[in-house]
Amino acid sequence: MSAARKPRDQVAMGLVPGPFHDRLAPLNVQQGWMNWMGVASPSVLDTVEFEYFAIRNQATVFDISPMNKYRIAGPDAEAVVNRLVTRDIRKLKPGRVAYAIWCDEEGNVVDDGTVFRFDDGTFRLCCQEPQLAWLRDVAFGFDVTLTDESADVAGLALQGPTSCAVLKDMGLAGVESMKPFDIRSFKVKAKSVTVSRTGFTGDLGYELWMAPGDALTVWDHVMAAGQRRGIRVIGFEALDMARIEAGFLLPRVDFLSSQTHMRPGRARNPYELGLDWLVHLDKPHFNGRRALVRLSKERPRRKLVTLEISRDKPAHHAYVYHRGKKEVGFVTSALWSPTLKRNIAYAWVDAPYCFDGRELSVEIYRQRELIWQRRMERATLVDRALFQNPRRTATPPADF
Amino acid sequence: MSWDAIVIGAGHNGLVAAARLGQDGKRVLVLEARDDPGGLLGGESPVAHLPTALNPAVVKGLALDRHGLKPGRPLTTVALGGAEPVRISGGTVTGTDPTTAAAYAAMHARLVRQAGALAPMMAKTPPRLRDGGLAEMMTLAGLGLKIRRLGKADMQDLLRILLSNIWDVLTDEIGDGPLAGALAMDATLGGAMGPRSPGTVLPFLYRLAGQPRMRVDGGALIGALLKAVQAAGGQVRTGTSVERILVGDDRVEGVRLNSGEELRAPLILSNAHPRQTLNTLLGVAQIDAEDARRARLMASEGMVARLDLTLSEPPAGLDAADFGERLVIAPDMGALETAFNAAKYKEMPARPVLECRYDDGAKRLTVNAQFVPCTLKGGWTKAARGRLEKAVTGMLDDALPGTAARVTAIETRTPADIEAQYGLPGGHWHHGEFRVDQMLMLRPFGGAAQYRMPVAGLYLCGAGAHPGGDITGLPGWNAAGQAIKDGRAGK
Amino acid sequence: MKYDAIVVGAGHNGLTTACFLARAGLKVLVVEKNDYVGGAAVSRELTPGWTYSNCSYVCSLLRPEVIRALELPKFGLQVIPYESGATFNSSGAYFNYSSDHDALRRELMRIDPAEADNYDRFARAVMKQCRFIKPLLLRTAPDPTSFKPRDLAELFYIGKRFHDLGERDMAETVRFWTMSIAEFLDEYLTSDLVKAHIAGAGIIGTGLGPYSPGTAYVLLHHYMGEVDGSIGAWGFSRGGMGAITRAMAASFEASGGVIRTGSGIDRFLISDGRVTGVALENGDEFHAATVISGMDVRRTFVEHTDEADLPDDFVKGVKRYRFRGSSGKLNIALDGMPTFAAAPKDARFLRGDLHFLDDMEEIERAYDDWKAGRWSAEPYMDFLIPTQIDPTMAPPGKHYATIFVQYAPYELADGPWDDAKREAFAKTVIDKVSRHSPDFADLIVHKEVRTPADIEREVGLTEGNIFQGELTFDQLLFNRPVPGWAQYRSPIKGLYMCASSTHPGGGVMGAPGANAAREVLRDLGRKIDLGAAA
Repeated sequence: MSAARKPRDQVAMGLVPGPFHDRLAPLNVQQGWMNWMGVASPSVLDTVEFEYFAIRNQATVFDISPMNKYRIAGPDAEAVVNRLVTRDIRKLKPGRVAYAIWCDEEGNVVDDGTVFRFDDGTFRLCCQEPQLAWLRDVAFGFDVTLTDESADVAGLALQGPTSCAVLKDMGLAGVESMKPFDIRSFKVKAKSVTVSRTGFTGDLGYELWMAPGDALTVWDHVMAAGQRRGIRVIGFEALDMARIEAGFLLPRVDFLSSQTHMRPGRARNPYELGLDWLVHLDKPHFNGRRALVRLSKERPRRKLVTLEISRDKPAHHAYVYHRGKKEVGFVTSALWSPTLKRNIAYAWVDAPYCFDGRELSVEIYRQRELIWQRRMERATLVDRALFQNPRRTATPPADF
Repeated sequence: MSWDAIVIGAGHNGLVAAARLGQDGKRVLVLEARDDPGGLLGGESPVAHLPTALNPAVVKGLALDRHGLKPGRPLTTVALGGAEPVRISGGTVTGTDPTTAAAYAAMHARLVRQAGALAPMMAKTPPRLRDGGLAEMMTLAGLGLKIRRLGKADMQDLLRILLSNIWDVLTDEIGDGPLAGALAMDATLGGAMGPRSPGTVLPFLYRLAGQPRMRVDGGALIGALLKAVQAAGGQVRTGTSVERILVGDDRVEGVRLNSGEELRAPLILSNAHPRQTLNTLLGVAQIDAEDARRARLMASEGMVARLDLTLSEPPAGLDAADFGERLVIAPDMGALETAFNAAKYKEMPARPVLECRYDDGAKRLTVNAQFVPCTLKGGWTKAARGRLEKAVTGMLDDALPGTAARVTAIETRTPADIEAQYGLPGGHWHHGEFRVDQMLMLRPFGGAAQYRMPVAGLYLCGAGAHPGGDITGLPGWNAAGQAIKDGRAGK
Repeated sequence: MKYDAIVVGAGHNGLTTACFLARAGLKVLVVEKNDYVGGAAVSRELTPGWTYSNCSYVCSLLRPEVIRALELPKFGLQVIPYESGATFNSSGAYFNYSSDHDALRRELMRIDPAEADNYDRFARAVMKQCRFIKPLLLRTAPDPTSFKPRDLAELFYIGKRFHDLGERDMAETVRFWTMSIAEFLDEYLTSDLVKAHIAGAGIIGTGLGPYSPGTAYVLLHHYMGEVDGSIGAWGFSRGGMGAITRAMAASFEASGGVIRTGSGIDRFLISDGRVTGVALENGDEFHAATVISGMDVRRTFVEHTDEADLPDDFVKGVKRYRFRGSSGKLNIALDGMPTFAAAPKDARFLRGDLHFLDDMEEIERAYDDWKAGRWSAEPYMDFLIPTQIDPTMAPPGKHYATIFVQYAPYELADGPWDDAKREAFAKTVIDKVSRHSPDFADLIVHKEVRTPADIEREVGLTEGNIFQGELTFDQLLFNRPVPGWAQYRSPIKGLYMCASSTHPGGGVMGAPGANAAREVLRDLGRKIDLGAAA
């Protein structure tokens, strides 16, 4: 048994450094670290505003190495991935990425993530929650190899309007011809780097994947090339602002994996999450399909909606009311959008109010020099992805 | 070729299901991989050599008497190995001291009463644990009421012993010895639990629920069932093994045989083991990962080996009156537990406990040797078989000294052989261990206990379904009933 | 001397009941056979300078409601948590459990890359069951045969909680309550070492092996404290387990209660089917209309009550009740801190619970020995050195080791325990520890060896069963101790039971004591206040 390998030291407690830590640590003047799968991940390095605006106006880097990454390879790889996720993965061509969700037998969402297809028989799944046990169950009876490569692949998100220019300045020839969700391999200072045109900001952006041992070399090269383009290192807080504007959901914040909740009734299905477009009921059997067929015919009992709220105070942790009295939901993510100048929030709202959003309000508490005020602010239903900019999808991207 | 229904497996449950479907006007085809029908009741020397649990509802419903099945006669169990043979028949026991006999009679009467409260559940589709309809709530309420109507003392006692072990109950009520050994055998036979394992009282009660136990002739039963199937317009094809259940648009469409031939039917009942049915015949790709996992994890490790001993003359010291009867060689409960001790580590017990039957015409002693593991450490080598045979003849010789010398030939089927010959995972007689977590609404597992399998039109009709193993015919009967009911409801 | 209530036995449950009654304004006397209070939650100085928690040894299950209501911290209770543990196997590998989730994940991944995920899944499955069962601990078990509104309401409450789990988890709950711990662990985990580490929790104190159906749920006892993020679930009470009962005694006396040690009960005084008091072995008699027994059900009703005063069915039920002592204990004074060959330097986990075994089969084989009337040749051990955290228990630089040993029978197949057998039993244990800690044996300056027979003799626990009777389903909930008598009352009016022979059973929990107090006060027309959390 592998446990016979006696470690020199006892196993570390708490946060451990990630592959970019040697560069992140000196930049993290706020000393704000978050725990992301046990790895030290910056929350804010210096000023959250500067970091946020860099996403929308310049270029930013964010260490995404702690994300869980699984390789699914073998003759049945396509069958297994197609059995796992709700969308039809047979349509995903090699060299492409797809956003996907996967469900349990009751049609509740286990997790969301991105599926990378490298070739016919090789996929990578990137996601928030550990999934190896789930993948093993789904792959039982199929001819595939599952590998947890979370620790073997370092990831760096390069996001923002000038991100393509930075890559070009780094010498990534032809990178501008990559379409959204394309994957391509490059050499950076003789190191292999896989680039995908993906991201979590709703803006022009790329994700760079490399061996952990090459991480610092690549980092230095990105930062050097980015200097002229206003590149900034960002932490999670700025990223969180961008993702709310862009309409992306965050597991553990906006919904809980059906594999992690403890109390009955906490799991959520794709129809409640507003992710119907990811469910392809017309493909062959996949996990949860029978339940989803049933759910697709029913009206959801609640929905995760996006609200626009009057005034400018973000509605963190607020209840949602109907006619100011009846409690009909609660907010999961909230933000005053500095770019859109709109006060937005995601909220779970019960039926029928999630369909007919008239007369909704949220309860906002604000403190004015130790005195608390409570206000009911008007809330209206709006489309989820409020931040939409053509530069996100333009190919080739304009040179900002 | 297309049919109204296909039944996979011509074991007794498959035949019962086919006959019931045929009676309902369906054109039914039964497919059997083996060369002879009957499953564990089939063949020249059937594994199930003492069927005693056939449910009267099945006999009546299929008019098996008209098809040649003779009424059963009461079972007598002869417990050997003590000072004198102990004969058990229903609530009567002879060969023990009067105190024990009286204690046994009292215990038997009480347990039969308690088992009676559970009995009505056996011939019904188990209700869902929740989210079922009103009828299912009524079934549950009915069970509750039945138990309440036992009266306070019996109900308290039932709720105390329900999840308990047979060892404690028998120790409290009658004390240890050959009588307790034979009774503990009833609680554990075919399974993978020793008498000290909590949960062994429930199978015992289950077997009492069908009281009185009547012995029928296994061959005659299969013959009658075949006639019933034919009379209802059904056909049986032996030597035909199914490779796959075919599915289209999330409904069954038919089966593909190993030969490549495809047969069409909108309704399929599988008499195969649940694991086989779901993960192999249907295939994991057609079901959710959770169900595949449940089917995979089902406890189904069989622990009974079968030995056919040819004798030069009847077993030494066996009373001629006991020829053909059920002979149990388990000197006490400790003997069972000790044999189980080895088997739970996948080792060979030095002294297995035996359930035998002597056929004087054929000069053959058929022996079911219990706690012999299916997956034996070191594998089922020739030497291992030899050790098993020696252990069994040793036990025989202890109870009936001189018998070993009369053995002229032994034919051995280990649980692994039974697994291979009958396509039974783990060689488990009951298509899955018979315990609380795998019975009633949890048989074969939660969410699949109503004979309906995940793909529309597919039903489970074997012992892996409620009410489980033994030759009752009820899983087949209930499954066909459920399929007919669903068909009428347009499901 | 006249009291409102007399409690027999100053164990933690007896004292808990006594405290609640005294706090409700009753005049309460506690009588105790030993010269000291505590029952099986005691600290004893058996060799100068060392304090042994010579029976129970960790504080994990004591109900927070009891700690709060009895104001135990005010009366001196200090609990120091420990947060890790380890299992060593015979090939020099180990598994280090940590309550720090990140450390645990890394450790599991070191053993097997998938095991961390597997473990998370396992832990959630157990936690779901904990959430289901936890509220039932401090409630009186309903009598399912009764039509009384209170029993029906309580059955409905349990039924509704069960129903609310949803169909899938309802099935899982039934499975969990009836499966063996080995099978449950096999379902989730792959590493023998990890499974072995956890499996011990399912069989400690019981006459069952890890392969026995019905052992999975015992895990709950292990995880209960951690539900809803309660912290400090596992710890040492500073000064040994006696600190708990000393605090209880102080709390009791502060409420005006009286404790008399040094003479046990001879018999309960009963007249016309009603208890009137107790007669002690020393001849003293005390009178009260309410008497609560902290002794186990056999001692209470077979040894100290006249059978003629009891209905036959009840007597039969009591005599049938199973104890089956299965645990031994070694308390060892050490000259220094032993080293463990496989452990990294300064390993944190040495401060937690240590075990020495390869796999679950080793425990099952240990159980087979016990069934055959022998102590286990390869016993399962729960080994702790509390002095690393609580140095008050030994002289400076010295240490105290507590070794809980499973299995040891109450009666050996070859006759009763004697000194030679006791010494051989100790040698079996020490030899096994020495295989992992070469200097352990040489550091021993004193040892106390306790077989089930010793535990019975000293503490009064019948057959030395640490839970006052087996925790099998036929002796749980409404079946504990006797069907129909599971609500702390007895057939004799005014005579109650308050200890681990009653629901929810053993462990230094205080729940039976609190529940019994509630029933006593209910009969007296009063209410008990356990606070909002109860």
